[in-house]
Amino acid sequence: MSRDTEHGPRERRGLDRRDMLKGLAGATALSAIPQAASAQTAKEAPALAKLAAEGKLPALAERVSANPLVITVEKVGRYGGSLRRGLRGSSDHNGILRMVGNQGLVRWNLAFTEVLPNVADKWEVNPNSTEFTFYLRKGMKWSDGKPFTADDIVFSIEDCAKNTELYKSPPSPIVINGQAGTATKIDETTVKFTFASPYALFLEQMATPLGQHPTLFAKHYCSQFHPKYNPGVADLVKAANLSDWGTLFRNKCGDIEIPSRWGNADKPTLDPWVIKEPYTGGATRVVMERNPYFWQVDSAGNQLPYIDRLTFSISQDVESLMLDAISGRLDIQERHLDTLQNKPTLSQNMQKGGYRLIELVNSSSQQVQIYLNMTHKDAKMREMFANKEFRKALSLGMNRKEIIDLVYLGQSEPHQTGPRPGHPWYHEGLSKQFTDFDPGQANAILDKLGYAKKDAGGIRLRPDGQKVFFAIDVIPTLYPDEVDALELVKRHWAEIGVDIKVNTIERALYYTRGDNNDHDAAVWPGPGGLDPMLDPRDYLAQHTQGSRYAIPWAQWYVSSGKDGQEPPESQKQRMKLYDQARATADMQKRGEIMKQVFDLTADAFETIGICLAVNAFGICRNNLQNVPPKYPNAWSWPNPGPALPQQFFFAT
Amino acid sequence: MLRFIVKRLLWMVPSLIVVSFLAFVLIQLPPGDFVTTYIATLAASNEVVDQNTAADLRARFGLDRPMIVQYFKWISGIVLRGDFGLSFEWQQPVSDLIWERMALTLVLTFSTLLATWGIALPIGVFSAVKKYSIGDYVVTFFSFLGLAIPSFLLALVLMYVAAVEFGQEVGGLFSEQYLTAPWSIGKVIDLLQHLWIPVIILAVSGTASLIRVMRANMLDELNRPYVTTARAKGLSEFHLLVKYPVRLALNPFISTISWLLPNLVSGSIIVAIVLSLPTAGPLLLQSLMSQDMYLAGAFVLLICALTLIGSLISDILLALVDPRIRLE
Repeated sequence: MSRDTEHGPRERRGLDRRDMLKGLAGATALSAIPQAASAQTAKEAPALAKLAAEGKLPALAERVSANPLVITVEKVGRYGGSLRRGLRGSSDHNGILRMVGNQGLVRWNLAFTEVLPNVADKWEVNPNSTEFTFYLRKGMKWSDGKPFTADDIVFSIEDCAKNTELYKSPPSPIVINGQAGTATKIDETTVKFTFASPYALFLEQMATPLGQHPTLFAKHYCSQFHPKYNPGVADLVKAANLSDWGTLFRNKCGDIEIPSRWGNADKPTLDPWVIKEPYTGGATRVVMERNPYFWQVDSAGNQLPYIDRLTFSISQDVESLMLDAISGRLDIQERHLDTLQNKPTLSQNMQKGGYRLIELVNSSSQQVQIYLNMTHKDAKMREMFANKEFRKALSLGMNRKEIIDLVYLGQSEPHQTGPRPGHPWYHEGLSKQFTDFDPGQANAILDKLGYAKKDAGGIRLRPDGQKVFFAIDVIPTLYPDEVDALELVKRHWAEIGVDIKVNTIERALYYTRGDNNDHDAAVWPGPGGLDPMLDPRDYLAQHTQGSRYAIPWAQWYVSSGKDGQEPPESQKQRMKLYDQARATADMQKRGEIMKQVFDLTADAFETIGICLAVNAFGICRNNLQNVPPKYPNAWSWPNPGPALPQQFFFAT
Repeated sequence: MLRFIVKRLLWMVPSLIVVSFLAFVLIQLPPGDFVTTYIATLAASNEVVDQNTAADLRARFGLDRPMIVQYFKWISGIVLRGDFGLSFEWQQPVSDLIWERMALTLVLTFSTLLATWGIALPIGVFSAVKKYSIGDYVVTFFSFLGLAIPSFLLALVLMYVAAVEFGQEVGGLFSEQYLTAPWSIGKVIDLLQHLWIPVIILAVSGTASLIRVMRANMLDELNRPYVTTARAKGLSEFHLLVKYPVRLALNPFISTISWLLPNLVSGSIIVAIVLSLPTAGPLLLQSLMSQDMYLAGAFVLLICALTLIGSLISDILLALVDPRIRLE
């Protein structure tokens, strides 16, 4: 595993998508993992060995499948120990997902640049990226010991994800151009996904948390809650006092990101640890224990995970997590304590708490993306915001260095948007344009635009006599740093005669205003730094909640022109190019197409950024080993999952 | 008396209906709904909800329908079937969620109450009887201090000191090994070992204010002629105090029972959150914050019912304790 995430070499040797197209031979090379370690030589945790010896558990070789996934570890670990983490009392189920539930068909490498085999041992893609054939591991088992086969995947996709009573519309990762793909069983261990149009991004989507549906539902267990397989399901629904089978199914089998995924200890999973004490409304902790049938081994053939048990304590108040960290009661934690304000305290107490800091590379591009609403309902405002020269003047009128020094303790650099420096698609023009502090030029531009007249307070007036004034929505509870940054921007822009209101609002209101296109402007961290393909909302109006500079354009794009407003030509071109990139498996070619998108984005200059998204950090107890010192911090790369917690271990 | 009780009980029905409606409206009043809040909360951890799923959620919970329809769906479930619905967030029955936490909440609230009264009443009497003595000044000083310190701050400071200086765990009501163990002598002892910290924190401000109230009430009574008469008749000072002025000074405490019951649920929320106590308060706050309508609504309804019952009880008790009070 390469230990670098962003500054190291980025070649894709052995992982080029072109290899993938060469068929099975290439695909086998793709897995890039020695198959030498066979199940016969594998070793197991002492507790499991004892059970196996007593005959209460099948022998290891039968449990880990004929060709388990071999994880190349930094150090071969020792079994045992209990890992402690913290969760918040509400809506924190994804804290568990990130730690254990990352078992999709494929997974990300540590650098977040390529897709590696996971549940699927290898795969093939047809030349126009409409057919994906996944080869599973023979003899692989669910956590209850029942075999995991192609049937489970077909059941999960065809009977569950595409069932309109369960999902009104199919989950977007399996949908391209409004049509869901089809999963077909070739044989016990081979399954084929077919799409109506090219969908090269499918593999990457399958490595993200939202792409886990294929491996989510165990047919032998979940089919009992499905009317197609159990005609008596209505009685079960009634017995549970619920309204419909969908609710019962979700309660029992969960979904990707709902709490009940972790609320049923009976549900079979493919995860390294399984639920012992569930995550429910009144719970004060969650306990997970090793899955005796986990299908991964280390390079010496030892079955993973090394650590016996995970304990998640549930704190009502996330501040108390800080105390837990300082007093050494958390083994690895970044969630809820990774804000910049906490860093000095946590650095200071490293010795006392017996932990070290790990660096989390921000997957976002921009720390404070300012979205002026170019589709504003008010024609005068719309005209002002839609003018590139106006946005350019605003960009030149802010002193980024001051903001970085004061708010971000110097830990960043001036930046607009685009892939992060070090990413193969880094686009200097897009990232660095108009980032100099030049109030003189800014004033000259604004004068020329017809905002030369000023009121007594030195604020410019529009030709209709109104002040050049707008409100920027920000959520103080979510991003306090953005409020600080905006206060400085307000001061800088006052110097060039532009007045803003830092509109601190509650988060639900923020979303509602965005959804209704009621906002003048809004800020949000700009994504797409490490995952430009997965979250390009700042490169083209693609996200109906996130592309806040023109949400109606995004609605137009998503609804294929039925809703929203028709975007300008440059946007339409980018939408077309992005669709094309999504359908291109060849990384070289895809990069070329995306370069055109970035060129157009740079030329349109829709969003105004301040600085490169600042890296976060986490704490890790000194005795916890095999934890990479640096890894991405993202939702598509649901840290720490892809850093493989199953191979973390406690040194004696 | 009986007529009075029946009349009051009957009045509760319309009150509860009005309150349930108001509560429902109030919880819905903030912009957005459960789904928006849910999406926003996940976004705080950099997480995204599939957009198809979000629309689906709204339809599944009936959030896309007019509020009045949602209200009737909810209230008819309660009235007709005693079904409080499913919590949006947890997809578990609301009643299970609430009852799960009520037992410990009761233990905590009553322990706190006992501690508060046990400390405050004798001290209040003492400081009134020995007015302007050194003892009175000392007690007054500490009770003002107790009043002035917000209890959550006290909790934070205690936690910090315990965690950083002594490496001891303060949060929660049980140690690790008893968390899910069935009830046993060991578990009760463990509970008692943990209970005293929140009880003291919660009792501090209550005690302080009670001391002041008791002192003032007593001072009112001590100069009354009946006290002089009793003393003149040669009653011992202790006997005299307990039998007459203290009994009268207690009236205000009995009135407070009416807000004691709702406090079971909604009291001490902040302290419970800071100390991670598995009581009802944090769940209530959480449900309000996430706009989990059914759970929050059930809580508000419960609090309201408890307030009504509490005031009835305190009225009855007052009539029993103080013969001067008539119910009609």
